[in-house]
Amino acid sequence: MKIAGRALIMGDNVNTDVLHPSRFFSLDDRTVRAGFLQAAAGFEQAGTSDLTGRVVVAGDNFGCGSSRETGARAFLLAGVQAIVARSLARIFSRNVRNLGLPAVECPSLPALAPDTEVEIDLARGRLRAAAPALDLPLVPLDPFWLAVLEAGGLLPFLGLGEPAGPRPGASLPMYRGGP
Amino acid sequence: MTPETLPETLTEKILRRSAAAPIVTGSELLRIPVDLVLGHDATIALVIERFKRAGRRIWDPSRCFFAADHFAPPSTPERADILRRYLAFIADQSIPDDLVYRGISHQLLIEDRRCQPGMVICGADSHTVMAGALGCFACGMGSTDILALLLTGEVILPIPESIRIDFEGALPEWLFGKDLALEIIRQLGEGGAVDRALEYHDRTRHGLPMESRFTIANMAVEAGATNGVFVPDDALRRYLTERDGASGPLPGFEGAWLEPDPDAGYVRRLCIDVGELCPLVALPGDLSRIVPAGEAEPSSVQQVFIGSCAGGRLEDLAVAARVLRGRRVAPGVRLVVTPASQAVFHACVRNGILDVLTAAGALVTNSSCGACGGIDKGLIGAGEVCVSTSNRNFRGRMGSNDGLIYLASSATAAAAAVTGRVCDPREVLDGQRLRGFHREPWPAAERTSGGAA
Repeated sequence: MKIAGRALIMGDNVNTDVLHPSRFFSLDDRTVRAGFLQAAAGFEQAGTSDLTGRVVVAGDNFGCGSSRETGARAFLLAGVQAIVARSLARIFSRNVRNLGLPAVECPSLPALAPDTEVEIDLARGRLRAAAPALDLPLVPLDPFWLAVLEAGGLLPFLGLGEPAGPRPGASLPMYRGGP
Repeated sequence: MTPETLPETLTEKILRRSAAAPIVTGSELLRIPVDLVLGHDATIALVIERFKRAGRRIWDPSRCFFAADHFAPPSTPERADILRRYLAFIADQSIPDDLVYRGISHQLLIEDRRCQPGMVICGADSHTVMAGALGCFACGMGSTDILALLLTGEVILPIPESIRIDFEGALPEWLFGKDLALEIIRQLGEGGAVDRALEYHDRTRHGLPMESRFTIANMAVEAGATNGVFVPDDALRRYLTERDGASGPLPGFEGAWLEPDPDAGYVRRLCIDVGELCPLVALPGDLSRIVPAGEAEPSSVQQVFIGSCAGGRLEDLAVAARVLRGRRVAPGVRLVVTPASQAVFHACVRNGILDVLTAAGALVTNSSCGACGGIDKGLIGAGEVCVSTSNRNFRGRMGSNDGLIYLASSATAAAAAVTGRVCDPREVLDGQRLRGFHREPWPAAERTSGGAA
């Protein structure tokens, strides 16, 4: 029902060259994984450290810039469970959802301390935390994106291929907007 | 517009011509048939294995506009392998290979008869938006979206609302598309146009040169826009007549001459008097700090890059040659020049522009993406400063995480090459060098005067 994890905190206008520098562009998943956050100041260890289960919590316009899908794939390979940002860049948000990774927007998201425990309740469309105490609304996902996440990505949704990753959205009853 | 329909923006008009029903009940996303799909060696390589597993053919190989521009030629053994797989895929799928090694895919698109107004064009690269200067819907996307498109002939998109941008006034000789593109981003902000279309109306006194329009549309994505589209006008008609000749578009690639309805609804409007602007630079790191070039901290510069789909056209190289003719690149600066396509390269050879630039000390590389994406031939090291005519100044984009990138027009970039520091190009222009530039970027008088310092 819910995705809970320790937050990886990122700022505003974090672009895809910072999230995944082009020198890590590769068809080899080990190289793609090693490039995760390799131009983001303070995340020098992210290419090798264990980030399984983490939830990326970011500011405005997260993922702006290039369309290189290796950047989105690196999140999947690093074991990130979900992304929540004040707002998401268009191509990047499509790329991660197309791979089956939930990416949602929370416009009222405040600045959080590193490693804050957060919970994304996709069924009710809420972002919650205990310390600090938060219970904030998410922007409802379009029914198309709900269906894509439930299928495990765009290709399985269209019947054109298998899920790219572990299907974090597949077993989750999703928030469909409305009261 | 019929009485039953609401007035439409240009983007709405293009997409609603062909859009079918919502992809799922209640969704704002529609299935939209695509006229042309742009691809290149890097991002298409990411789809090949999944494509093979799907066990189907491409819906229409003739509508694949596939270049080789990232790893062309390759600079590592792995990239050689990626390029080889990509070329084998093209051959196996009977995709036209006439664009391979001819230059940057986005530049090839606007030079090609297959790209026409009114079309829906999607590409496996964010700068596909540049083709919107030709009055079409052009939008970039990631590899999984492109894979689905190759198999189905459709993309799944919402129809974006539009921000209308009117250009007015008279364009000064020392002002270019890059300055206007930066001014738009300065006003909208980096994410100010996410999920929106930018609709440009050229109402300037003499009209914006097409080459400047390409740069403006190219950088629509830097404000987060889905697409940027110029309203078709006489300048576009002249461009297409010259480009396509009497024969016009290829059969099956006719497009449509569409305009927005006069009373179309816009979510926001900007009016930019181009006569009141000064040369701008984007300060290093991102596009959130855009300032007059003369007000930037006058950092000393180690590299100037004139190239990319945003700043490697004939106009860009001609203005650089005008600034550099009879001068030398400052000591301690390397000037890297990468014509955006072979057509641009050949035109610059014919006109003596490359003579002038190389005589001034420029290093000229083959037409490809090169230094812009930190791929090869012009990367920067820790602590180095680069003034670039490309479209992104992001941390690590052109090499070291500790290098600094300023974005500027090629006039401003060439001025930095001469002085060795970031400055307003008017500081080094004597008032004669750019006279008449927008009418005739590289007049015969410049060609015969030679490049020797």
